[in-house]
Amino acid sequence: MSFNARITMPTDVRAGEIVEIKVLTRHPMDRGGQSDGRGGTVPRKILNRLTATYAGEPIFRFDMHTGVAANPFVSFTTRAVATGDIVFEWREDGGATYTRTARLTVT
Amino acid sequence: MSSVISPRSRRSEAGHDRRSLLAGAAAGLVVAALPARAATDISPERAQLIARITEGALPERGRITLDVPALVENGNSVDTRIVVESPMTDADHVRWIHLIAEKNPFPDMARFHLGPRAGRAEVATTLRLSQSQTVTAVAALSGGGFVMADADIVVTLSACIDGG
Repeated sequence: MSFNARITMPTDVRAGEIVEIKVLTRHPMDRGGQSDGRGGTVPRKILNRLTATYAGEPIFRFDMHTGVAANPFVSFTTRAVATGDIVFEWREDGGATYTRTARLTVT
Repeated sequence: MSSVISPRSRRSEAGHDRRSLLAGAAAGLVVAALPARAATDISPERAQLIARITEGALPERGRITLDVPALVENGNSVDTRIVVESPMTDADHVRWIHLIAEKNPFPDMARFHLGPRAGRAEVATTLRLSQSQTVTAVAALSGGGFVMADADIVVTLSACIDGG
């Protein structure tokens, strides 16, 4: 399994506070096009989208192309409104998806 | 013995001269390039790439900061941070931020979709650059306008050394 994600964000925040969420993903982000040694080329295999949903509502989307580095890092912000799960979903070329969840507690 | 050492020392002297000459030439280039940057002219290729994502609209400069290193040793991973001055309210917010590298095999690198719930229009990521070039960030505002910023990056090790 070549996918792994590390999500860094505060767990306890006050309502209205702006939270910075940092996501570091382990993924080769193979841009494709190299020779596979049998006369063909290696197909592109990257994570092409990261969606973040906070308490059921989408808050952030990151469309990635081959210009995003291997092991992509992304940082974004959201305003804390209510205690809830932030769900991160990645979509990989070929249709595979990966999901991770982080809990944000708002006081 | 001395006959071996002295040619070496001469070569080293010559190398030093060549280096200082190159450094001087590079400094001259930088100085010569500065007025051109101030004029903010955009190459036709880059203008076309920008027009394609803004549907023809010409983005304004200002209100957006693109923070990238001026020189990177490894084009495989370039830390990038984009900040747009925006209140991020329902009426006035940043819809998305798009990153273009004109000389990459695929110039469109990434797009961040934001909304009023972001609180602050600030994103960071790591990019992959094939060569030294100008990186452009274009942000779409909720009012229908666009803002842009660009930065020149010198890449010493390309991200595409295996010929891809």
